[in-house]
Amino acid sequence: MKRIDCFKVMAELAGDALVVTGAGANTVEWYACRPGDGNFRVRTMGLVSSIALGMALGLPHRQVIAIDGDGSLLMNLCSLPTIARKNPPNLVHVLVDNEVYEASGEIDTATGAGTDLVAVARGAGIRRASWATNPDELRTVFAEALEARDATFIGLKVERARSEVPPYPMDEVENKYRFIRHVEQTEGLSILSAHMPASFLKES
Amino acid sequence: MADNPGPALIVEGLKEAGVDLVATLPDINLHAVLERVASDPDLVHVPLCREEEGIGICTGGYLVGRKCAMIMQNGGLFNSVNGIVSTLLQYNLPLLLLVYYAGDVGDRSFATNGAMTQPVLSALGVQHFILRDPNEAKALIKRTLVLTQDYKRPVAVLLTKDVLGQRRPGE
Repeated sequence: MKRIDCFKVMAELAGDALVVTGAGANTVEWYACRPGDGNFRVRTMGLVSSIALGMALGLPHRQVIAIDGDGSLLMNLCSLPTIARKNPPNLVHVLVDNEVYEASGEIDTATGAGTDLVAVARGAGIRRASWATNPDELRTVFAEALEARDATFIGLKVERARSEVPPYPMDEVENKYRFIRHVEQTEGLSILSAHMPASFLKES
Repeated sequence: MADNPGPALIVEGLKEAGVDLVATLPDINLHAVLERVASDPDLVHVPLCREEEGIGICTGGYLVGRKCAMIMQNGGLFNSVNGIVSTLLQYNLPLLLLVYYAGDVGDRSFATNGAMTQPVLSALGVQHFILRDPNEAKALIKRTLVLTQDYKRPVAVLLTKDVLGQRRPGE
C-alpha cells in the first residue's frame, strides 16, 4: 500500500488533532494531505512518539497523532513502554513501516529482517496495537482509535515509494512558533510571552 | 538522608516556579526527590526508560503550554545529547534540567561522569549552576526556570550530594 493513500484516509478523520511527524518523507506527504499549523515536524530521529506523548499528557482533552517511521521508532523503542505506562487515551501512534532508512539511502532496517514492531508495542504493554493492511482497514482501526479509552498503536506496511508533493514550507523555529500560536488560538491558552519594560513590572 | 531539607525544597521550588510536568529517571541519590515528584498530585510525572525520550516528552509538553523539567543523573544528560542538540537547540526551546552531579568533588560515584559534566554542558552552550546549599534551592530553581524561558535554550542545575543527602564515610 502507498503511504499517501494511508495519509489521505487519516487526514479525513483527523479533524483538528495535533500531529507530530518525523524528519523524513512522512512529514512532507502528511503536510500535503492535511496542511496547517497543527503539524509539528521533529528533527531528532526517534523522538516523534515522545514529543507526541508530551503533547497528549499536556493537553489531555486534545487528540494527538504521532506519525512515526520504522527507523525512527527502532532508535527509541523505550518510548513504547513509557507510552504504555501513561496510556493517554488521546494518543494514536501510527507506524509507517517501509523497512528502510528512506532518508538515509534506503538501507534496510530490522523490520525487513523480521522485527514486528506491532508485537513489540503489544509486548511493551500497549494493549490496542494492530496492523492495518489496507486503507479501508486503516479507516476502521483509525476511527476506533480516535474514540478509544486507551492509547493506540497502528502499524502500516507501505511501499518504498515517494509521492510528488510540494516541499515542506518552513524551518524548525517557524514551525515551533506557528504550532504554539495554533495551540493558543484553538485552546484559548497563553503560552508565549515577552519580557515587559521595568515600568510595567510590580516586582522583579 | 531524611535530615536533609534539600529534596523537599527542590520539589517545592519546582512547584513555586510553576513547573507542572516532570520527566524523571532514578538514581539512588535522587530517590527522595523522585518520591516527592511521583506522589505529588499537582505534577504530571513521566517515568522514563532512557533520558533522551524525556527531552521529547518535555518538548511536547512545552509546545502545548506546560512548564516542564527533567530530573536525571549526569549519565542521563550524556544519553540526551542528540535530543538536546537537534530538538532543544535547533528549535530554540527552553527546558529546566535538574542533573545529579555524580562524581562531583567529594562524591565518589562515577568520577569520569563528574569530570565530563561541565565541559559537555559548556560545549552545548547550556548554562549551568551548581546547587550546594539546600537553602538556595527554591530561589535558584525559580530563577533558572525564568532564565531558560527567556534564553529559549535548556538551562541546567547541577544537584550535588550536599543538597540530595548525606555523604558516605570518606566522601
